[in-house]
Amino acid sequence: MSGFLQIQAIEKRWRAGVTVGPISLDIAQGEILALLGPSGSGKTTMLRLLAGFETADGGRVAVAGEDVTAVPPAQRRFGMVFQHYALFPHLDVGENVGFGLHGKGKGDEGRAKQKISAALTLVDLAGYEKRKVHELSGGQQQRVALARALAPEPRVLMLDEPLSNLDPALRERTRHELREVIKRVGITTVFVTHEQEEAFDLGDRIAVINQGRLEQVGAPDELYEHPVNLFVATFVGRANVFRGKAARALGANGTGVLVVRPERLRFAGAGLPGVVRERRYIGAAAFFVVEDDEHERFEVLAEPDAAKVGERVYVEATRVIAL
Amino acid sequence: MTVRLRRSEITAAALMLLLAWLVIYPILIVGSEAAHPMALREFLTRPGEWAALWASVWISLLSVILAAAIGIPLAFLFEWFDFPGRKTLGALIALPVVLPPLVGVIAFLFLYGESGFVARAIQALLHLQNAPWRLQGPAAILLVHAYSMYVYFYLFTRAGLAKLDVSMLEAAQALGASTWATVRRVIIPLLRPSLVGAAMLTFMTALGSFSAPYIFGGGFRVMTTQIVATKLNGDLPLAMVETVALALVAVVGLIILRRTEGDDILVALGKGIAPRPRPIQRAGVRRLATIAGWALAVLLLLPHLTLLLVSLVPYGAWTTEILPPVINLDNYRRLFSEPERLRPMWNSLWMASVSTAVAVALALAGGWLVVRRRVALRRAIEALLALPWALPGTVFAIALAITFSVHAPLQLRFVLVGTAVILPLAYLVRALPLTGRGILAAYRQLDPSLEEAAASLGAGRWRTLTRVTLPQLKPGLAAGASLAFVAGLGDIVASIVLYTYETRPVSIEILSSLRLAETGVAAAFGVVLMLVSAVVLGVGARR
Repeated sequence: MSGFLQIQAIEKRWRAGVTVGPISLDIAQGEILALLGPSGSGKTTMLRLLAGFETADGGRVAVAGEDVTAVPPAQRRFGMVFQHYALFPHLDVGENVGFGLHGKGKGDEGRAKQKISAALTLVDLAGYEKRKVHELSGGQQQRVALARALAPEPRVLMLDEPLSNLDPALRERTRHELREVIKRVGITTVFVTHEQEEAFDLGDRIAVINQGRLEQVGAPDELYEHPVNLFVATFVGRANVFRGKAARALGANGTGVLVVRPERLRFAGAGLPGVVRERRYIGAAAFFVVEDDEHERFEVLAEPDAAKVGERVYVEATRVIAL
Repeated sequence: MTVRLRRSEITAAALMLLLAWLVIYPILIVGSEAAHPMALREFLTRPGEWAALWASVWISLLSVILAAAIGIPLAFLFEWFDFPGRKTLGALIALPVVLPPLVGVIAFLFLYGESGFVARAIQALLHLQNAPWRLQGPAAILLVHAYSMYVYFYLFTRAGLAKLDVSMLEAAQALGASTWATVRRVIIPLLRPSLVGAAMLTFMTALGSFSAPYIFGGGFRVMTTQIVATKLNGDLPLAMVETVALALVAVVGLIILRRTEGDDILVALGKGIAPRPRPIQRAGVRRLATIAGWALAVLLLLPHLTLLLVSLVPYGAWTTEILPPVINLDNYRRLFSEPERLRPMWNSLWMASVSTAVAVALALAGGWLVVRRRVALRRAIEALLALPWALPGTVFAIALAITFSVHAPLQLRFVLVGTAVILPLAYLVRALPLTGRGILAAYRQLDPSLEEAAASLGAGRWRTLTRVTLPQLKPGLAAGASLAFVAGLGDIVASIVLYTYETRPVSIEILSSLRLAETGVAAAFGVVLMLVSAVVLGVGARR
């Protein structure tokens, strides 16, 4: 990995006991990295450290070999899309997008206009220059914010919960459009999210952060199939956790914890015994909540008619994660 | 960051010291110098002093009651009921605001005074020998106060009602509450912060009121006029004791009112949808409401119209007739051609402008340090910006007069009295709470990520300030600045204590015109002040 954006042992100490970092990450040119974690985990602090809105208490940030740790945000040339977009309400769409193009030499007005128009075309809002910001829908505002961040051709793009302000129906489509635009521009991107699905769909790699620490970084399937600890295993995707006798019944050989995804469990003639307590139908399949003899509950994803509520069943695992 | 943070802490300390020097230091000087045993004994033993202090208190309390009695029902009427002309009337009803205190008082004098229109008309109608009444004493003062201060209750109550969520009223009704029970158990408690806010403002304004008691008081003295009279008699020690006494009354009054305020629950709940005004159903009642509304509007507008009419009557042309025999623009011509008349105009304009500009700059610095940088001294800065509001203007006028008539550079006291600096300084002190309130509130509503967005797009501090921060602060800034400017322009309280002939402002010129019986010129000055105030307030209120 070339490490276009290098984060080395960066750290922020808010007060005694509340620390984010030290975290180190190498991000390749053109890569999209997701910072995934529950709220309060420190992922937004990480993003703000990268942008320069917070000053690090330790460590360094470098872009293409240049140390930018002490460079103020205005000179860092990092584009940022804010959670609530932070569009300037007193400026129209064109002026918003052109804000970062100001004062780069005389006679540049025509060029700025071209760049504004190109940036708006990129996000599929060509011709929206004169619109008022508050006349736009949430999705359009989000795209204007993206165009504004991209117009000055920053070295790194940062997005803070880019989709959290959109209604669920719009989210999935916007997610794909967003990834498509970023990939077309080819810009190195870091974004923050607390939703695993969003991180999987948008990120090339995902850094899982919890309580200010980096738990694991890797591609989506790597995190899903090979989580390094229980937090990553349960935070990324649905997971059943088995211990002791139940774990051994599913094939564990040691005394460790066994994590099994619901789709890796199936009803069989032998294995871990239990009683079906609930059935949640989701269309193509159903989740069955099974209670074992120690009154521990777990989920099995199976064909909708694989079992009935109240039925005594045996469950076996097709693939397990031993921790 | 540590370096930048420390720099903002140093700036904050400097700002705090400057504000303390402006608003607290003079008060402390007066407080310490007032502890003069002779003057104290004089104050304690003279019955006139206690009478004036007591008069200040009860006049202020009655003003609150009268203003509430007029303003609150009007607010309900205009916010809840619809009738022809509601919108126009609703705007007209705030008209007393554009009359600077002294101008309002002289308008009342021309209208209801013993030689005013109304008195003359009644005298002529009933063929009386003398004027039917004299507009003097407490009743006259209360009349002016009620007229000019009900607006506070009206505006505050309307704002509170507009924030009220209609679903809360519906909930009360669904739970079986009658209309009266809803008003008593839901609406009034929710309105309490607004009502207490209006009561505080009215109380403070009435306690500090100078023009009405000065013109209409006659032998009846309140503390503000008493202080100025003592000062003019040259008894400075006694004036200082009186000043401290008035300041104490103000502080005690504020504390008592503050305790009844409660939290602003409406804010905590967030905004709901205000109930829509209901048309008055019965035709008779609707007609009555309309007529009463327009009659009220005429009543409210009469002082303005009177002022305008009197300003058109040339000197000596109007003696005993009911209506003036001659009307022309003579007074205005004199106003704008005689350099001696033009002078106070310019004085007031530049002094109000300078003090407003400085007050805006200080409030901006304060807002940035308090809200953005969250400096350690933020509470102190905020309190200092608000403090001048809590004390009557006369208190500050005397305090500045005492503090800045001594040359003692080591005590940070300089001789400013008698120079062109002292009045703008006094206006500045009075302007600080107005600009401070507006700008701090606007700063708090400003999303910090807007400024961060500007920075991430490469904008430096100056560009961020001028292109993003200031445009966003504009409504609050304009509102605060326009109020501050109008207050300085029409000021009499500080001016009458601190002016010199060279720096005399319009209000002083109005007083001396009145003394020379040049009512037309005085009214013309009043009209100009009124128009400038109206324009400035109108611009300031535009979003």
